[in-house]
Amino acid sequence: MPELSYREAVRDALSRAMRDDEDVFIMGEDIAEMGGSMGVTQGLVDEFGPERVRNTPISEMALAGAAIGAAMQGMRPVAEIMYEDFLTLATEQIVNQAAKHRYMSGGQLTVPVTFRTQGGAGWSPGAQHAQQLEAWFMHIPGLKVVFPSTPTDVRGLLWSSIYDDNPVVFFEHRTLYGIKENVPDELEPIPLGQARTHRQGEDVTVIATGRLVHEALAAAKEAEKEGVSVEVVDPRTLLPLDEDALISSVKKTNRCVVAHEAVVRGGFGAEVAAVIQYGAFDWLDAPIERVGAKFTPLPFAPVMEEFVVPHAADVLEAIRRTVGRSDGN
Amino acid sequence: MQPTCLKRFAEPWGAAMATEVKLPRLGQGMESGTIVKWLKSEGDKVEKGEPLYELDTDKVTQEVEAEASGVLLKIAISEGEVEVGKTIAVIGEQGEEVQVEPQQTDGNGTSAREVDDDAQEAAQRPVRDSGPVQEVRENREVPPTDANGRIKASPLARRIARERGIDLSAVAGTGPDGRVVAEDVERTAASGAPTPVSTAALPLEGVEVQQLSSMRKTIARRLTEAWQAPVFQLGVTVDMGRALELRARLVELHADGVKPTISDLVTKVSAAALMRHRAVNALYKGDAVELYPTANIGIAVAVPNGLLVPVIQSCERKSVAEIAAARAAIVERARAGKLQQSDLDGGTFTISNLGMYGIERFIAVLNPPQAAILAVGSIEDRVVVVDGRPAVRPRMEITLTCDHRAVDGATGAEFLRDLKAFLEEPGLAL
Repeated sequence: MPELSYREAVRDALSRAMRDDEDVFIMGEDIAEMGGSMGVTQGLVDEFGPERVRNTPISEMALAGAAIGAAMQGMRPVAEIMYEDFLTLATEQIVNQAAKHRYMSGGQLTVPVTFRTQGGAGWSPGAQHAQQLEAWFMHIPGLKVVFPSTPTDVRGLLWSSIYDDNPVVFFEHRTLYGIKENVPDELEPIPLGQARTHRQGEDVTVIATGRLVHEALAAAKEAEKEGVSVEVVDPRTLLPLDEDALISSVKKTNRCVVAHEAVVRGGFGAEVAAVIQYGAFDWLDAPIERVGAKFTPLPFAPVMEEFVVPHAADVLEAIRRTVGRSDGN
Repeated sequence: MQPTCLKRFAEPWGAAMATEVKLPRLGQGMESGTIVKWLKSEGDKVEKGEPLYELDTDKVTQEVEAEASGVLLKIAISEGEVEVGKTIAVIGEQGEEVQVEPQQTDGNGTSAREVDDDAQEAAQRPVRDSGPVQEVRENREVPPTDANGRIKASPLARRIARERGIDLSAVAGTGPDGRVVAEDVERTAASGAPTPVSTAALPLEGVEVQQLSSMRKTIARRLTEAWQAPVFQLGVTVDMGRALELRARLVELHADGVKPTISDLVTKVSAAALMRHRAVNALYKGDAVELYPTANIGIAVAVPNGLLVPVIQSCERKSVAEIAAARAAIVERARAGKLQQSDLDGGTFTISNLGMYGIERFIAVLNPPQAAILAVGSIEDRVVVVDGRPAVRPRMEITLTCDHRAVDGATGAEFLRDLKAFLEEPGLAL
């Protein structure tokens, strides 16, 4: 079992797909010789050449449009949007074009494109280079939204995204690129829409995405010392959402915390809270807690950045509130 | 924000000087424990891992170790029953000032101390003078309501109350802001209907009043729960001739070890039968039945003023001698009050043997969430028909109680048929 970083796992899925299948190619800003601004596509141009590892002009609108066009013609393009903040510039293409054509053509067209992008705080990138905007895309029928948190998951889910006949917005987290894990020799595709339970517990379910999965696991360890048994579930795919898994976990534990790095207001957690209250209303023994960033643009100063985004301590505090043991700090 | 967030950066848990000692949850379902005594005094030095105090839970009494090194600055609760998670002491550095918040017991900010005083005062009053006593009771039992009289209760608490026909207004809430949570309703359900019963008229002279220990409270609660299960019983009589011969031979072979008993043999062959009938080696969990791959057999042990069921793990993999040794060890620990929580966890099946008291047959009450329990009677010489002729044979009755939600009649019968066959011809269990 090779050990791969999250970054290498993304690269591994891309290269295997390109090796197996001539229809798969990648495009984006500086992804060829430079290997992408996060180094994810390093070396791919040497193996696959500039036709299949395409540098594009600095226009997210143009590159997204080109990828969508290629997808409609039967290719399976993977377009990299350097920072998810820049998705704003491609939103017309993703929301009004990619998400709509299959429906509007009565199924005559499919748009099997994957938009890979990354974001996240923790390294002082400032207000315009670290937002977590996954919730915007969950609101659009016709899209799928994926947000993996581990090397194994990112590899298996990217593969499934490439081979899904619908447009997928695929979120990676900047601070997870370095984490390593032993992954199976063979790439095992992970179906979209399937949650993963990282840890079984009895008292509280923490539903976490991206970096917060790791913070939630750290909080769960601390909670255990206080006698609180925490289950940690990562939905992995935000759209479609594995509602059954989330509801059945909360039916078991009777308490729920939702945690993500994006701001709390209107976030993914709001949707999960609604799903849980409807599906597990009679099983809830405490209000659903939401953990996320404070409602402010992300500060540049490291100390303030740390203050704004959530950490394990914030998840732990929410866990304590659900079991009625907050000591108020 | 304070510069402490810098610290969070590197060390999310901070490094507070003083460590609060909180009552730990030592096992599933533990809600509170009783501090028996402190093994250290205020001002004593303690090392992490050193025994700090003795804790009586509903199952065991055990020493709890310090989680931090330093000086025991303050003992907030010196003895008595405490909820899990409450701060009971503080460990810190010599000379450090500490403040322990008064232990909140309800939304009115009454400390445990004050409630005790109230209760004591109430106890000293003549019972017929019911005015003030009634007030105390109302303060403690009525859950918070809003201006419209709606009771603050969680959806789960509401559902459980609805299902069990419990009036929420009679349940004391212990959640945040006095919210009635599921545990509160279950506690009320277990303690029976909270009907005020006047005891004033009953003469108490000559009556010995025994307050329930936490173990007896647990026995009461769990057996009341068990009584709600739809159970049925299956009984067979077993010819114990071969089993007695085998037992005699095992005693010879293990002359210097623990002598295997008939109970140990029953445990061993039950494990073999459970492995062939996994549906009986099961826990009933409301919306699922969990079938277990190992036979972790609980042995009902009588202890002073109670009953405990320590578990012998993976009996299917142990020899009779190993089971005998494990049984001797846990029974000794049980009688000495030295069982650990881990000795009691994980059981998948229970055996209760009253044969040594000459009980020929009895019906055991289920040990939820386990799906079945076996009651073992005494071995008695009986005249029976063997090959068409009367013969005197050692016979033993065994009775299986099954939770019908998990085990059906035929399933239980097949298990019992194999168990009987294994006892009559132990070689078949191989």
